[in-house]
Amino acid sequence: MAITSEVQAISVRPHHTLWGDAIIRLRRNYFAMGGLAFIILLSLAAIFAPVITQYTFAEQNLDEILEGPSWDHWMGTDQLGRDTFARLIYGARTSLAVGIFTQLIVICIGLPIGAISAYAGGKTDNYIMRFVDVMYAFPDILLIILLRSVLGGSIYMIFLAIGLVSWVNVSRLVRGQIMNLKSRDYVSAARAMGGMGRYITWRHLLPNSLGPVIVSVTFNIPRAIFTEAALSYIGIGVQPPTPSWGAMIQDGFNLIFSKPYMLLFPAIALALLMLAFTFLGDGLRDALDPKLRR
Amino acid sequence: MTTLLEVRNLTTYFHTQDGVVKAVDGVSYDVNRGETIALVGESGCGKTVSALSILRLVAEPAGRIMTGEVLFDGIDLLKLSTEEMRKMRGAKISIIFQEPLTSLNPVLTIGKQISEGLEFHKGISSSDGIQEAIHLLKMVGIPHPERRIYDYPHQFSGGMRQRAMIAIAIACQPQLIIADEPTTVVDVTIQAQLLELIKNITREFGTALILITHNLGIVARYANRVFVMYAGKIVEHGTAHDVYHNPYHPYTVGLLASVPRLDEPQKTRLLPIEGQPPDLIALPIGCSFQPRCMYAVPRCQKEKPLLLDISPNHYAACWLSQNGIRPWQKKSS
Repeated sequence: MAITSEVQAISVRPHHTLWGDAIIRLRRNYFAMGGLAFIILLSLAAIFAPVITQYTFAEQNLDEILEGPSWDHWMGTDQLGRDTFARLIYGARTSLAVGIFTQLIVICIGLPIGAISAYAGGKTDNYIMRFVDVMYAFPDILLIILLRSVLGGSIYMIFLAIGLVSWVNVSRLVRGQIMNLKSRDYVSAARAMGGMGRYITWRHLLPNSLGPVIVSVTFNIPRAIFTEAALSYIGIGVQPPTPSWGAMIQDGFNLIFSKPYMLLFPAIALALLMLAFTFLGDGLRDALDPKLRR
Repeated sequence: MTTLLEVRNLTTYFHTQDGVVKAVDGVSYDVNRGETIALVGESGCGKTVSALSILRLVAEPAGRIMTGEVLFDGIDLLKLSTEEMRKMRGAKISIIFQEPLTSLNPVLTIGKQISEGLEFHKGISSSDGIQEAIHLLKMVGIPHPERRIYDYPHQFSGGMRQRAMIAIAIACQPQLIIADEPTTVVDVTIQAQLLELIKNITREFGTALILITHNLGIVARYANRVFVMYAGKIVEHGTAHDVYHNPYHPYTVGLLASVPRLDEPQKTRLLPIEGQPPDLIALPIGCSFQPRCMYAVPRCQKEKPLLLDISPNHYAACWLSQNGIRPWQKKSS
């Protein structure tokens, strides 16, 4: 009897995978879930922008310039009579796209370079890391401005420019992780079973180093969004009439004393989005760290 | 019986900031097909390094195999290219590490880790590998293998993890398995089960086994021949029976005296070997064991004894034994 009940106990025990566990832990973190909810909400608003608002981001109405919030214009209008709410949710497309695509570029460049550097070791590692140091030492904004003048002004080039200056952190992180993991017993064990270097890096080392990378990427998304906003603020970001939160903040800043709401709404939106990503990043860090497991 | 593995004058040094650590210093041993030999000695005497040297897995760049030959089936493993060596590992020679907790990758399922070797060497697909993994897990005595292969290492107990390690090691049916203190981290009952399992498997497949251990109790039961290591050298070797009943080296005598035995009166005191193992960077000029040896004579301090056969198939590196003086022997037994 005892044996059968034990067998049943084994068979009904739920299956927890490593990532499954992390998700369960993330779910318990209300701040992170709040952040995630805000990001999802904003993404949906950005995707379905044409359904949510009757205005478009470029539509000018010179009879209604610089109006305050009203039933017709929830967040008022700007100096060209464009609806601020419409521009805000269309602008979310730019901001979210910048956040996500730059980080994709960062992962595509930083991950392999860090992994190769750590696995190769020796001279190769030394050369790659000195190059990374040079990239790291170079001022980001200056490099972006240089790249912008070379690559041109389309929005994709902004992704590329921001991506090209921010991969160094991830490559350093991955390198450090893999250097650390390389000496683990299971790596020797995999080598003892006849595993190839490439296979071991890909199947054994990278998955184990992903946790911190995911956290770092989540923290870097708001940085990229902020960089784009800063670029737009100084006029070399997304070109008008494409809305960008940074450009909207700059427009509002000129009228900060007479029409403060023009600055307020995009600034609040930017702050909330950054906060949301930071909460999510914090939550992911805790969830992916098995030492914090309760 | 034909020789499967012959290690000749193997020397592995570690180059550290403090100097050269002579971890393995001219060690020779051989393993016949299907035979179990034991490498015995206390921690840090070079057992593990000598085993890792066979697979050429010594941590580089600090560790280097300086000289020697490792003949496996007549091929010198030390002369193979990296790629040829990779093909030997797991397929012909595999190893069971002592720490099953850290030797399994936490983010891969057990099934995946078992089938990996088969994918490397036999080129089979992942799905066939999983089928094979189920079969192997069943063989090493894990219940519900068809469900358990999807588990991660942290869902396995220590004993089960070591069983999984055994399954990984036998996956490609190698001719030689090196078991590096396979039972150090599990309790005594599981220890016995695991060793029986390893014994049955090696017997079934005719696999040769190098059992690395510091537990002489295990040696007596499972090994055909014993090699006692001290400070990177083999100080005594012979059949398990000879080494047990008629040890020629005082170090072996000390090891035997420090293990409880059932065939002696219970009042017998266990005698530890006094002192610490020597610093492998600065070994004594004479016999390495001499500073701790209670039988040492002046000659032991000046000259290193060589490993010589004292009786047929029983070798020891001790000046006393070689001259027929064995003060540790009980009279007229």
